[in-house]
Amino acid sequence: MGRIFAWAAAILIGVVLGAASAWGALEIGRTNFAEQYGAWHFNHAAGSTAAGPYSRAVIARDGLLALSAREALYFTIFTDDQGRPLSESCVYEMTGRDLDARWWSVTLYADDSFLAMNNDHAHSVDASRISYSADGYWRTRISPVKGDAINWVSSRAARRGFSLTLRVYNPQRDFRPSADSLPQLTTLSCAGGA
Amino acid sequence: MGGEHLRKYVWAVLISAVLTHVAIIYAVPNVLMNVAISRLSDMGLNRWQVAPRVTEQSRTIVRPSPDFAYSACTYDLSRGPLVISAAPWREYWSLSLYADNSDNFFVIDDREAHYGAEITLVQRGRAHPEGAPMVVESPSARGIALIRRLAPTPEEYSAAAQVAREDVCASAASLAATGR
Repeated sequence: MGRIFAWAAAILIGVVLGAASAWGALEIGRTNFAEQYGAWHFNHAAGSTAAGPYSRAVIARDGLLALSAREALYFTIFTDDQGRPLSESCVYEMTGRDLDARWWSVTLYADDSFLAMNNDHAHSVDASRISYSADGYWRTRISPVKGDAINWVSSRAARRGFSLTLRVYNPQRDFRPSADSLPQLTTLSCAGGA
Repeated sequence: MGGEHLRKYVWAVLISAVLTHVAIIYAVPNVLMNVAISRLSDMGLNRWQVAPRVTEQSRTIVRPSPDFAYSACTYDLSRGPLVISAAPWREYWSLSLYADNSDNFFVIDDREAHYGAEITLVQRGRAHPEGAPMVVESPSARGIALIRRLAPTPEEYSAAAQVAREDVCASAASLAATGR
């Protein structure tokens, strides 16, 4: 009886360890199985029929029904320039130039990978609606309130650990992502030193 | 407990941990796709459903874009091929197909199909219908077809949803029987 119990306990411990390590792999995989351009993480295997099992699992969890890179590219920022999780208590500014693609957008997702539960109707900015400055750059504020911002993505109710996803649709053939060509995120301030 | 027994238990822990880890990693895409298929097929299989405009209340599929009008058809090819068509839209639009392991195995957009797209979807390994102009093979019997229409404003969403009524996702046999 004791031996049966020991075998069952060993298998149970193994199952728990296996489940925990799989969860850990998916958790770190969103950044570690991806290419990085500045703060942006990019998984070239999204939607691909050639994706490996880890990439496929990570994408299925974080971006089910993503298009393959032939059609669209997805870049995501999870942390600020100090490596801290993005937080509703901070004010950020994203700056960029027009991208060499047919259309692009930047969308904010809460830590559950859905739109933040606010009714500001400011979950994203996109190439068809954004206003450019005279210097050819666009700037968007990412904050809980719009204030005097011209372009705004609301982080109200996004809590801590939200992410920003850049979608690039129909990139031109010579589109080459780089830390310099992709939009830059800057932390302007954080309430209470968050 | 002797050392030999202890080694056996350690091996049991390691082997069951590895098997569990691998099983979960391989199962995640299929499980999540099955959940998505189940959620999207509430209104039935093999028919388009125009999703309401994406808002913070949209919780069916992770990371929806609020700038698109989505139409989804959860398909089941076990009873034969389907005809899937997408009506054209004045902005970017695409028709994409996903296998039950989450692979995006087919996509066509308005650059390639100015006047809309029509395909016949067949399960891989099954016979192609005679005379079908554009046959696409699905690696799995079940999956999801998705149309994205760029529509960032409420007005554009309404217009896109109107256009989406012309999309077709239906059994090839039933369409043939009705003479379409």
